[in-house]
Amino acid sequence: MNKILFTAGLVALMGTSAMAQQIGVSIARFDDNGLTVMRNGMAAHEKTLDGVSLQVEDATDDVAKQLDQINNFIASGVDAIILNAVDTNATEAMSNAAAAANVPLVYVNRQPINMATLPDGQAFVASNEIESGTLAAFRMCQDLRAQGKSGGAAAYVLMGQLSNQAAVQRTKDFHDVIGMDMCNFITIIDEQTAEWSRDKAQDLMTNWISSGEPFDAVFGNNDEMAIGAIQAMKSAGIDMADVVVGGVDATSDALVSMKQGDMDVTVFQDLAGQGAGSIDTALKLIAGEDVDKTVFIPFKLVTPENIDDFM
Amino acid sequence: MSDSSQGTGGLSIDASKRQWPNELNVFGALILIVIIFEILGAIFMGQSLLFDSKGRFDSIFNEARLRIIIIQVAIIGILALGVTQVIITAGIDLSSGSVVGATAMIAMSFAQVGEVNGGINPKAIFGPSFLDLPVVIPIIVGLCVGLAAGAINGLLVAYSRIPPFIATLGMMLFARGVAQWWSKGNPVSFPTEAYAKIGAGMMPVIIFLSLAVLFHFIMNYTVYGKHTYAIGSNEAAARMSGINVPRHLMLVYMIAGMLAGLAAVILTSKNLTAQSGMGLSYELEAIAMAVIGGVSLFGGRGSIIGTVIGALIIGVITSGFTFLRLGAYYQEMVLGCIIVGAVALDQLQQKRAASRS
Repeated sequence: MNKILFTAGLVALMGTSAMAQQIGVSIARFDDNGLTVMRNGMAAHEKTLDGVSLQVEDATDDVAKQLDQINNFIASGVDAIILNAVDTNATEAMSNAAAAANVPLVYVNRQPINMATLPDGQAFVASNEIESGTLAAFRMCQDLRAQGKSGGAAAYVLMGQLSNQAAVQRTKDFHDVIGMDMCNFITIIDEQTAEWSRDKAQDLMTNWISSGEPFDAVFGNNDEMAIGAIQAMKSAGIDMADVVVGGVDATSDALVSMKQGDMDVTVFQDLAGQGAGSIDTALKLIAGEDVDKTVFIPFKLVTPENIDDFM
Repeated sequence: MSDSSQGTGGLSIDASKRQWPNELNVFGALILIVIIFEILGAIFMGQSLLFDSKGRFDSIFNEARLRIIIIQVAIIGILALGVTQVIITAGIDLSSGSVVGATAMIAMSFAQVGEVNGGINPKAIFGPSFLDLPVVIPIIVGLCVGLAAGAINGLLVAYSRIPPFIATLGMMLFARGVAQWWSKGNPVSFPTEAYAKIGAGMMPVIIFLSLAVLFHFIMNYTVYGKHTYAIGSNEAAARMSGINVPRHLMLVYMIAGMLAGLAAVILTSKNLTAQSGMGLSYELEAIAMAVIGGVSLFGGRGSIIGTVIGALIIGVITSGFTFLRLGAYYQEMVLGCIIVGAVALDQLQQKRAASRS
């Protein structure tokens, strides 16, 4: 008797949801800053779309739990799955599960390890990490030129954790930019790690200042370190108008610092855009359209001219 | 064994043994390290580490570098003052870094300014009635949170007889959890002007050195100090001679916790922000300062002066490597060697002293 009721209920449910696209979303963790921005971007985008309904779940940083969530989504017959992987090394099993059930799967923000062998009907939506450092570095180069320092400028680079891909990439981007003809007047005095931390950056910058070497620019692999450097320079009595400081992330602290005229350049990773983009990509996959394996959501350069768009 | 039950606190030299005070050895090591950097600096950089080789200052010293050498170790140094006392009781405190993280988040939430750039504070944790509070409130909150964490550590160690390593490991994880849970991982930024002054400029150094002097006297000239050494040297003997060991241990861990709370207040003020990852691995750096300074992990031996010199050694090495523009990889390798080397030398000296007596 129960079974009949259940089936009837299920049929009724499927009847009503036949029009709506049901998308299951598994997020690595709800309490992460950036991922929350992304999640909110998804929810906001869902409201603008007719007939799309998201079911968002928290994987609480647990790989096994996330795989269970994927299988539960498949079992309940969702039209597509959006996955923000807890562990990018563990995505193979999830790709296989979705492919076996013929459910489109979109990875968002974190690049899966099996990118090269991603099955049909699966895609990856994120920002292209190479852009962030390049955008910031190039703008810093332009700022230095505008200050009339194209005859020669010296820079310090504050690196993130040396084991971190973004730190390595952003530092390399800076090197690549100053390798260009237009920007090769910039030389790096020294580059060292401050482990993404404002406190370490503050101390490192003070150490650099103590050597008395004149410098014109400071590039932080993230905003926190750039802010730490700014605090060190300010307490050493350096006029922030004379130094071009760049970072990455466009955190609210960095935006405030830029408003005050201290920070010159930062880069905004459009996490809300990634969230919205992942839904659009999922819908295309459901409709059977051709989708690139990687969909890039562009980074946005933030400078004093356009800062109000981001505050 | 008669040697270890004596507990040579501070610079008080036991004349009957004519033992060379350990602090002089550590100080010698500091001088040696400075000389090595001066030589390398002269060869590779063409300038001096500590002296003003470019004529930028009025004195003969590179004042900016002297300042940063101490500034960069002052906050962890404050932790180390508490950790030193804990280690002298033959205990250990693994929680100090995480307690800094948790206290930073909580204290900073009471130090936030209401208005940022003409708008409301985008990072406000509580409602408007908790913004723009007088500066004493976040300071008291910070000290109390640290004190509470220390009290729990002390309670576990002294009364439930859980080994200090386990008790403070538990607190280390718990407090880091609190730090992350407090604002769900969000940073807490934009303190009031008064709060920003606590850790500005040389303030961390002034506070660190004042506390060092204070605890040097406490450890050497008060009952508290004597009991601390006595418990670390031989707990059973201390108990039999009438010392209330659990109550004293409780006190020691509470002081260590309160110092961690204070360090958090200074750290957040210096950085104008609190983040849940703050203080990460500070506990190990604080232990390293104490150990380099000659504090024995077996308890009963070591001094505040030693720890301060240990902190300076780490400061000189950090600045020295930046001065030579060497990468962070090498820095940690060298620090690892120095810590092990310091303890090995100390052991050797102990053995020699013991065989002589």
